Amino acid sequence: MSVPANHEFFIDPGRCIGCQACVHACSECDTHRGHSMIHLEYIDRGLTTQTTPVVCMHCDSPTCAEVCPADAIKRTADGVVQTARKPRCIACNNCVLACPFGVPKMMSQFELMMKCDMCYDRTSTGKKPMCATVCPSGALYFGTREEIEALRTSAVPTNRFRFGGQVIHTKVNMMVPANRSVEYVDVASALNEAPTGQDIELNILTDRRPAATTT
Amino acid sequence: MNERICATIWGGAATAALALLIVLGSRRLDHFDAALIGYTFATLFATFGIAYRYAMWLQRPPTWRYWVRGWQLFLQPRLLGRNLIQLARRLGVMFALNAFIWRRGTLRGAAHWCLMWGCVVAAAITFPLVFGWVHFETVPGDLNAYRAYLFGFPTMAFPIRSWIGFAVFHGLVWASLLVIIGVMLAMKRRMTDHGAAALQQFGEDYLPLIALFAISATGLMLTASYTWMRGYAYDFLAILHAITVILTLLWLPFGKFFHIFQRPAQLGVSFYKDIGARSEQVACRRCGEAFASRMHVEDLIEVERALGYAYELANQPAEHYQWICPRCRRSLLAIAQANLWTGLRGGEPLLLDAALTDAPPATAP
Amino acid sequence: MATLPAAPLETIEQFGPHLSYPAGARLDTAEEPDRQVKTHCCFCGQQCGIQLKIKDNVVVGFEPWEDFPFNRGMLCPKGVRRYLQGAHPDRLLTAYERDAAAPGGFRPLNYQAAVERVASEINRIQSAHGADAFAVLSGASLTTEKTYLMGKFARMCLRTANIDYNGRLCMVSAGAANKKSFGIDRSANPWSDIPQAEVVLIAGSNVAECSPITTNYVWQARERGAKVIVVDPRITPIARTCDLFLPVKPGRDVALFNGILHLMIEQGWIDQEFIDRYTVGFERVAEHVRQWTPQRTAEVTGVTEKAIRQAAQWWGQAKTSFLLHARGIEHHSHGVQNVLSTINIVLATGRLGREGCGYGTITGQANGQGGREHGQKCDQLPGWRDIDNPEHRAYIAKIWQISPEELPGKGVDAYEIFRKIDRGEIRGLLSICFNPKVSLPDNNFIGRMLDKLDFYVAIDFFLNESARHANVVLPGSLQEEDEGVVTSAEGRVIKINKCVDPPGDAREDWRIIQDIAQALGRQRGFTFDSPRQIFDELRRASAGGVADYSGITYEKVERQMGVFWPCPSEDHPGTPRLFEPGSWNPVAQGNGPFYFADGKARFNVATYAPPAEDVDADYPLLLTTGRVVSHFLSGTQTRRIGPLVDQYPEPRVELHPQLAEQLGIADGDWTTVESRRGACTLRAQVVRTIRPDTVFVPYHWAGLKSINQVTIAAQDPISKIPEYKVCAVRVSRASSPPAYAGVFEPQQ
Repeated sequence: MSVPANHEFFIDPGRCIGCQACVHACSECDTHRGHSMIHLEYIDRGLTTQTTPVVCMHCDSPTCAEVCPADAIKRTADGVVQTARKPRCIACNNCVLACPFGVPKMMSQFELMMKCDMCYDRTSTGKKPMCATVCPSGALYFGTREEIEALRTSAVPTNRFRFGGQVIHTKVNMMVPANRSVEYVDVASALNEAPTGQDIELNILTDRRPAATTT
Repeated sequence: MNERICATIWGGAATAALALLIVLGSRRLDHFDAALIGYTFATLFATFGIAYRYAMWLQRPPTWRYWVRGWQLFLQPRLLGRNLIQLARRLGVMFALNAFIWRRGTLRGAAHWCLMWGCVVAAAITFPLVFGWVHFETVPGDLNAYRAYLFGFPTMAFPIRSWIGFAVFHGLVWASLLVIIGVMLAMKRRMTDHGAAALQQFGEDYLPLIALFAISATGLMLTASYTWMRGYAYDFLAILHAITVILTLLWLPFGKFFHIFQRPAQLGVSFYKDIGARSEQVACRRCGEAFASRMHVEDLIEVERALGYAYELANQPAEHYQWICPRCRRSLLAIAQANLWTGLRGGEPLLLDAALTDAPPATAP
Repeated sequence: MATLPAAPLETIEQFGPHLSYPAGARLDTAEEPDRQVKTHCCFCGQQCGIQLKIKDNVVVGFEPWEDFPFNRGMLCPKGVRRYLQGAHPDRLLTAYERDAAAPGGFRPLNYQAAVERVASEINRIQSAHGADAFAVLSGASLTTEKTYLMGKFARMCLRTANIDYNGRLCMVSAGAANKKSFGIDRSANPWSDIPQAEVVLIAGSNVAECSPITTNYVWQARERGAKVIVVDPRITPIARTCDLFLPVKPGRDVALFNGILHLMIEQGWIDQEFIDRYTVGFERVAEHVRQWTPQRTAEVTGVTEKAIRQAAQWWGQAKTSFLLHARGIEHHSHGVQNVLSTINIVLATGRLGREGCGYGTITGQANGQGGREHGQKCDQLPGWRDIDNPEHRAYIAKIWQISPEELPGKGVDAYEIFRKIDRGEIRGLLSICFNPKVSLPDNNFIGRMLDKLDFYVAIDFFLNESARHANVVLPGSLQEEDEGVVTSAEGRVIKINKCVDPPGDAREDWRIIQDIAQALGRQRGFTFDSPRQIFDELRRASAGGVADYSGITYEKVERQMGVFWPCPSEDHPGTPRLFEPGSWNPVAQGNGPFYFADGKARFNVATYAPPAEDVDADYPLLLTTGRVVSHFLSGTQTRRIGPLVDQYPEPRVELHPQLAEQLGIADGDWTTVESRRGACTLRAQVVRTIRPDTVFVPYHWAGLKSINQVTIAAQDPISKIPEYKVCAVRVSRASSPPAYAGVFEPQQ
């Protein structure tokens, strides 16, 4: 059993509404029932309602697996980076700290790292992962290239992410603007960038934006 | 030095050491049972394989880092006493009781505990016997008593028809029963659990169970044959049993059983984590929250460099991506994507240093 | 009755809310379910398709239902976790009777004895004080069959005029305005028209949290280049990325839409041909909005002129569009005016009745649509018939085999029922699917009124906060324990399928109602054996009405994955899109697409008035209330589902940092929100995503955590909807934690 080659994961954090349906649904998956493997982050709730779901990006050469001292993380032939093998994982936390996307979770009570395995019980039998099935905003989508092209006319998928000197190729795709040629998503460059959102422009007392946003 | 050559040397050394011990322990093969020669050679082969693979494994940058650090930290004279106490406790809780496996699931815990203790008991009995390190002789002048000899030195004697005798001579029976119970529990889980069904592989997950079952079942058949069936088909069963054991031994370095030798690394890691938790913590360069020990982050940077990764950053608040905490990394992914859409989708980058305005809050229009 | 039978903590100890988490068969990945039932979520008006997994008469999990066209497997957190409401430790398994000596204040009672006691109390009250002295409060989360039966039960069995329902808190402003403008109260379009629109205008709807699946429709429109305009005092998740955000000051929606219409007329961004051909009343509206210059609009709404002009331009110049609104503009003392003002800007563009040209209100409750069509409203008979209309009365009387004179007249709205209790005119109450103690405004008054009743019987599956005041509690059914149809926000009639049997002494709600009718000795007309039989009578009762279900069958609903009403005959496919040119309806009889005799839509002048209670020196801030994504309405269900409570455990008061700084409040501080009616102390959440003159508190909690202690009971004069969305408050940092801190668990 393996994930069909034409079924792909497409994520678009910009669409996320922070509802956490993915977080709840994730824990219903058979390979990690009762434990949610997806992350849902508020970028800065004081400033904006921006949120993002983070699934495993399933890197072509996974940093987590390479830094694992116990050879516990394996990438199957279909490109899925599996959760740690239970007999091997020694709960050292290397993968948790090294993953450039911040994905693995340390379950210290089990002496075990667990991570998103793209709902392998589902995807390897032709179903969609739980999170991408339930996601009500389309921030998480699982399907074929043809389907995503038909649905997302303004966006194209990319699977290259840059962290300083390192470019990572992943199995999971991220939606970027179709009319801007995006070579890669430069993640580390966002270190100096702020969250996005609307600001409240009011004319209650003055007809100017609050001072904080005038620059 | 080429890592394969290094590993080969280690493998050869371990094999030679075991061979020497066999010769010495059996008093120049005086107590060595030639009928068990097949077992011995299989064990020697397995020893080579395990040592070779272990050495290869140790030479991987992350493993080597942990290995060196783990011993350094463990052996610090200042902490050695405390470490030894911790070691004893962890051996008990983690290894003897398998507490963490029980927490993953009762069925999984029960299966592993039975399998593990069955194998430990069996190994503790068979290897010394095969190597001639232990043998039994009747006590001169008392036909009803046996004396056990370890490395040729006499140890305790006990009556044959006592409970000790019964327990000792049937030790492998008990071990086999434990293993079979464990195999059944594990099989049940593997055959019914949907999660296990998705991830398991025949070679990795079923074959070890089949091998253990075959060894235990043929072993029990041997006992049954000489106990109740006057040795019916004993020779055939002995060969069958030998085949199952030898094949398993030969496979030991390659498959799932290798985790038996890797697993003690968990202890080293636990000391690394202990020390890490007590040592300096580093704050994420983006959010300022402490997220790991400086030792761990610096070790990882070194490991990543050795592996050929280039997570170094230029003109950023951190000089390496390792100084950013996992939560911020997750957020950065979203911010980076959102910025690509600036001007195309609503919502502008908001100012992080947004100070409060000087305007008083609005009340009535 | 003066007080609750037991201290709240004692009642909670016995009846909850306690939290349910996955355990046993729900966690066991080796379990094979006995079967999987295709049905729908029990919560909001979107009615997402879902498959429930059943094992040993318990719902143990779910599987997305990807073939159902509305949601294609999508679910929100409530849908994902809805399976945890079954086999719950708090579930009522027997009838109960108030008994201060019993644990929690209630002692179990034999079901038949309980029903007989209810009947005898009804008899006693009605013979002493008249039939109208016994009132019925029903709900819009019930199946349409049950809502039909509730109306019939009140009018024909109890012969009381006083029946109303909790849609009064929900859909009535939209319904009234829709009736006034279109002659029919239903979303004009299926959601599939949203992605075809060039502009999507969302007014007063926190789509992302209250109707999450709609988000995907909006995003699909954006993918095709649509502009999204959001009108809301808060930057909700859908507003965060919208193209134009209009942070309207609570209570000023009419002004905004009148201002937009002003600019559209000024710039000629209207469809004069459509207006002439299909509408009446435009001139008066055009005259009225002349005063709403951009400058005045900006002053009143608190939205910049620039933004108003931009909205008018985008909306005015679009070729296709979709306008969605929800409680944000409807929960007002001028909610109907607000809705009329939005309909005016739709009618003026003529963008209705075509692909990609739509309008709709997003219903809140599971059967917010179907529950308001078939006679549980105080002024309504089945098929959206009017209880004051002699022809309509005669038709329904014939179906029910009674004389029209036997039908009571118009009753009063849900809130007025409590005022009638106060005046001693109503002495007895039966409630089902309604938790007024939490959900009605100024709810300390509601609690006192429940205590004032001579007799109160509540039907529910959990002992909700209102039922704690009851004399008798009857164990009703969960959604998955019965079958029947509901009508979704789109107007799509869909089928709820039974998954499990009601446990213990609990039974299907319609059986309980029929049992009471029988105990009263008035079982004629209440001898149905199944929801299907009720539905068949409902079909006949609705035939020829505006909400015509006569051509809908269970089989057709299953086959077509829902049927849009009106559906006047069995060979009729249903009507996904209303008002198509040339379409026929029973009111216009071919004269036009709208549901008036002349077939034309009505422009209605929408007049602006400030909220019933505006800010002043004593109460200088505006309070607005709403929902969070992990809870539903009064929380009777979601406050019992552990993972949903963990997501948003307790209400927080959202306020802007500017305001917080002035008040000396830091994030997480205990903060008191106080109005002339009551006060509520909660933790502060300081966020820049709300107007600085407004604070927001979600309303799902009970007791001291209920913000409805603070809200105002002012009502719209037409729809009688309460003004939840705006009242005047003062906010201060609390000097000490509230009395509940450390005593109650978050959900309690």
